Amino acid sequence: MNNSFDFSNFSKQSSKGIFVIYMNQIYKTIKTIWVLLFFGIKDFSKITNLSTNYIYLILVFILLFLLVRAYLIYKNFLFKIENEHFILKEGILNKTNTSIPFHRIQNINFKQNLIQQIIGVYEVSIETAGSKDTEIAIKALPLFKAEALKEIVSKSANFDKKIIIDDDKKPLVKIGIKELFKVSLTENHLQNLILFLALIIGFYQQIEQVIDSLGRTEVLDGLIAESTDALSTSFFLVTILLIFLTITALMTSFVKIFLVHFNLTAYLKEDAFEINQGLFTKKSIVLKKQKVQSITISTNPLKQLIGISFITFKQAVSGKVNVKKQKLIRIVGCKKEQVEIVKSSLFDFYELENGKKNRPDNYYKRRIFSVTFLFTIILYATLYFIFLQLEILYSAILVFPFFSFLIIKKVNKRFYKITDNMLLVGSGLIETHLTYLEVFKVQNITMEQSFFQVKSNVADIILQTASGKINIPSIRLEDAIKIYNHTLYKVETSKTSWM
Amino acid sequence: MFVNETVSNFPSITEIIFKPINKKYLKVILLNVILTFSAILIGLFLADYFNVFEKTSKYVYLFYIVFIVVYFVVSLLFYVSFKKRKYAVREKDITYKSGVFFIKLTTVPFSRIQHIEVDEGLFSRFFKLASISVFTAGDSKDDLVIKGIAKETALEIKEFISTKINE
Repeated sequence: MNNSFDFSNFSKQSSKGIFVIYMNQIYKTIKTIWVLLFFGIKDFSKITNLSTNYIYLILVFILLFLLVRAYLIYKNFLFKIENEHFILKEGILNKTNTSIPFHRIQNINFKQNLIQQIIGVYEVSIETAGSKDTEIAIKALPLFKAEALKEIVSKSANFDKKIIIDDDKKPLVKIGIKELFKVSLTENHLQNLILFLALIIGFYQQIEQVIDSLGRTEVLDGLIAESTDALSTSFFLVTILLIFLTITALMTSFVKIFLVHFNLTAYLKEDAFEINQGLFTKKSIVLKKQKVQSITISTNPLKQLIGISFITFKQAVSGKVNVKKQKLIRIVGCKKEQVEIVKSSLFDFYELENGKKNRPDNYYKRRIFSVTFLFTIILYATLYFIFLQLEILYSAILVFPFFSFLIIKKVNKRFYKITDNMLLVGSGLIETHLTYLEVFKVQNITMEQSFFQVKSNVADIILQTASGKINIPSIRLEDAIKIYNHTLYKVETSKTSWM
Repeated sequence: MFVNETVSNFPSITEIIFKPINKKYLKVILLNVILTFSAILIGLFLADYFNVFEKTSKYVYLFYIVFIVVYFVVSLLFYVSFKKRKYAVREKDITYKSGVFFIKLTTVPFSRIQHIEVDEGLFSRFFKLASISVFTAGDSKDDLVIKGIAKETALEIKEFISTKINE
């Protein structure tokens, strides 16, 4: 639809881009020197009137310098499309010339932060598997140009299929505010809770330091002594604190989910997914199906109750796999039918339905049980020797059955199914994860056996993909060998490119 | 269990003939161990000489005994693990096997290799040995490294794989 724009000549960003780059420069500068600023503000009282003038002068100078810099960055930023290559020239003093062939492009992301939204431009970033940083980020493009660019790149040579116009396509998934609220309810709140506890402990130490510097340590000590004396009071306080923390954790989850996934819509195109979301920072991702290495479908008991699950798409990454969570591409709050559509559009999972569910050997259960209980016993022993109170051991009555329950849950969730082309691995503790992988996309395969595993005739299989590992722990050795050979056979005979 | 009837004679990993790594590499390993332990020994001796542990100086001989025991155990472990290191290059993949208590078998198909490196360490160069590393896409730290093969062999393997990749 928007193919009207001609990219064959070098073009610049929208002139509004200067402002966006300028803001970005200021933001970056503040980010690098904020520690310095912090100390500056702390000793503000020591600064005399004379030197404040200097500070303002320096500030003005820095701001001007950044403005000039932003202008030069804008001026030297040129891009064009030639021979199915995206070509970019940039740099003020160090000139860089980047050229990316279309077939290497993994996804094209649209982003709009608050400033970009106000002045009405889009940030377009183009990512490849080559590096973990974004390779090309065009800070400011007007919508029609951005759309045109996306169309050109996403229907690159390999896919000469019809482009379906977005406007008359119904989105695959559309998540409203009500659904987002549900999603946030089912999030992992434990993480937030721990974060808050850490914050509170940190805060407490801060207060202690302040009071300490005022020379009133004994006041605080007295207060603490008083409150610890009355055990019931402190119990009451702890309960209130916990309730308060839980509510805050819930609220944060909601706000976080709301900000990131606001107005989430996912479209399904012939060869790609398009996912749009975000409130302050609007994001739009175009993800080519072929580039998807594996997908994971996750749910937990609460989510199951509401009938939703998450789909996470994994793409190839090089170097470190520890990509930040926010870089993961996921569709939250999918209903069952929607999951089915995504799955069947990616691969032929029909044969998986008929495949047999295989569970790990009993050795797996034994291993987790013995490791967990050994660890717990050691922990109890140490605690006992530190505090020398027998009361600590009472909690074991609750702890051991609870752990056993969790372990049984974990063991029950472990399974794998392998068919000619597909591998399905189930895992999880409270959450349930189903990972789907096309066997030929494996990069390398490892079989591991510990001394005990050799005795029990079981082995672990680790499949390395371009987007991380997939484990199949403690299965019978003969099955492990079969999977090993089958995978190698599939990889070595396949002619399809894996990305 | 899954069936795969289309291929009758499946190439199996259990039927590979593995090659041991070069015997000279054991010397490199032992040299490294000796060097590390000598450094620790010198440190221990100096600490003893300058009376760093004042109160425990009576028991310093215990440190030496522990030291010697550890040294022998480590050397023995390295020796056994050396015996277990094996590799195989097949028509379409390269395999490495190692480990005493944790046996590990890794295979990298040639079609997934991004690049290959042949490195020589300081001692290895002295014995004309080299290590060969192959890298695939994704998490590179888990790819395959075979240490201690004759330099010529390493280069041959590299050449072989390179031609296979370009096919």
